[in-house]
Amino acid sequence: MHATSFLLPTRFGHGGLGGCYAPETLMQPLLDLEEAFRKALDDSSFQAELKSELRHFVGRPTPLTSAPRLAAKLGLRDLYLKREDLTHTGAHKINNALAQALLARRMGKTQIIAETGAGQHGVAAAAACARLGLRCTVYMGVVDMARQAPNVARMRLFGTEVVPVEAGQGTLKEAVNEALRAWAARCDKAHYILGSALGPHPFPTMVRTFQTVIGEEARAQVLEQAGALPDSVIACAGGGSNGLGLLVPFLGDALHRFAVEAGGHGPALGEHAARLDGGRMGVLHGCKTLLLQDEHGHTAETASISAGLDYPALGPELAALALDEKIEVLRASDDQALEAAKWLCESEGILPALESSHALALLPELAKRGFTTVLLGLSGRGDKDLSTYQSKLGI
Amino acid sequence: MNKLLPFIMAGDPSLESLPRLLAEAKALGIEALEIGLPHSDPIADGPVLQAAAHRAIQRGATPLRVVETLAGLTESPDLILFTYLNPLLQIGAERLIGLLRLTPVKALLVVDLPDSEEPEFEARLRAAGYPIIPLLSPTTDLDRAKGLLERRPDPGGDHPFAQRFAYVVARLGVTGTGGAPDLAPVRERVAALQSISDRPLAVGFGLSDPQALAEVRAMGATPVIGSALVQALAAGVALETFLHTRLG
Repeated sequence: MHATSFLLPTRFGHGGLGGCYAPETLMQPLLDLEEAFRKALDDSSFQAELKSELRHFVGRPTPLTSAPRLAAKLGLRDLYLKREDLTHTGAHKINNALAQALLARRMGKTQIIAETGAGQHGVAAAAACARLGLRCTVYMGVVDMARQAPNVARMRLFGTEVVPVEAGQGTLKEAVNEALRAWAARCDKAHYILGSALGPHPFPTMVRTFQTVIGEEARAQVLEQAGALPDSVIACAGGGSNGLGLLVPFLGDALHRFAVEAGGHGPALGEHAARLDGGRMGVLHGCKTLLLQDEHGHTAETASISAGLDYPALGPELAALALDEKIEVLRASDDQALEAAKWLCESEGILPALESSHALALLPELAKRGFTTVLLGLSGRGDKDLSTYQSKLGI
Repeated sequence: MNKLLPFIMAGDPSLESLPRLLAEAKALGIEALEIGLPHSDPIADGPVLQAAAHRAIQRGATPLRVVETLAGLTESPDLILFTYLNPLLQIGAERLIGLLRLTPVKALLVVDLPDSEEPEFEARLRAAGYPIIPLLSPTTDLDRAKGLLERRPDPGGDHPFAQRFAYVVARLGVTGTGGAPDLAPVRERVAALQSISDRPLAVGFGLSDPQALAEVRAMGATPVIGSALVQALAAGVALETFLHTRLG
């Protein structure tokens, strides 16, 4: 018997963002996915298996690291880093990829489809599939394949087929297009592991649910280590899986929440991926949200030094929280992110991903605005970005 | 019964040639025709229609220019505007209705718009005479199909085929000629749908050769020909030359 209607809320915020703007072929698979997701959440054996895998395979809980030298350098009293860079595969993406792979196996799916931008979600999906014995195909834009080559090799080592996507700009947006097409062709056998809090319902809710482990851990850890909550929490945001994962568990607290988008190399359309100021309400990849688009409703080109933030739409839940003033969205430029990566390397001996460097880049701004205690989501490690750091920083 | 529902991409090979193509289609006895509005992210289309949309956009076939080109055309089949939602949302319902009034467009087929998502937008279009065509795919079971056909109802026998039909997606996946569908399960689905509705049915996705088109007609449904036609037109083949073995 098939599910006949969605039972979870499909929309976010006062503006009613999100929804399920999918072709008819994908509607029944999405209805069935929501049902499987709801049942898994209520099933203690699924929860126990997920918890065990997160502990023994992913390496959770990840540490919360105090960063006193960087705090002092930037004029903050305390800075805490939530270390998703220390997860297996090196970024927060594994939390969601592993959980969805477990869900897919439970649904009897034998094949996995995924898209990837920076390659971190692709690597996470590839690792989870190898671990669970599922066949995995990852779609990746050709430009991203070139700038994140080590991740392509890692996926292939895990036995995943990496399919180059040549269309358009050859980045994440085109990879999602192709993954959606592949899913429509194989939805009877395959599950699509979407990597960010994007896409048609139930993906945004499901991805956020599987990522809030970041903020739940961080909140308990900071209370234990500092004895109090910080006055601000900050994370970078591409689609929003990392941003929501860290910030949602702090929504009920009296503190300031920030998400940082890619400011790219300029303020004009096509030069950045800053959706809050630059975007208009629109529909892309199955959801209604803030979207960088031209006057004809065609998706605009984007630019960012960080492949993981280089996407034209802000996840609908994050966009709704921003519009409803629960989260403040800022932007950091390519150059600011590069500079910030250097600070963390030199002051704390930690190499951040270019994505996470966008959040680091806003720390001086927070200090200037009078915040003193900051908790920052270090979403991933920077090994994949070494060649960019080498060429841009001249080392 | 309508014998063939062709699809062409507006702006490919060119917007300038569109009025002539439509006049030729009408002269060939084509009653209704799907016209694709080129989109930047056509998630339900295969390589042929993706490339056609890309070429059309490069040549300046914006939604407004397409609609302007259609304005005032009398020598044309009834048109079904085949599109993705976002360009329509950006134009807005009222303005869109005003623009369509001047054209031979009779209905819309919005690939990524389930009937639950923009009820107000859809109701305004329907009230103005622009129904949205329901899609029925291999993943749509008969109960779901019943609901979809009720929520996007047949306006009735006094309306043209373009406003009445339901679109049966022949196979999983995207538009295009790669992987011709196995027509045996399609025949079963069409028969089941005919048992619950007397609405006209069109069958598309993956049909190109005259034999497959004839098999769909034998089911009592109208075959859609899209990617194969778009490819032929882009290669400079005349509409009549391509269609003369496929008209039924």
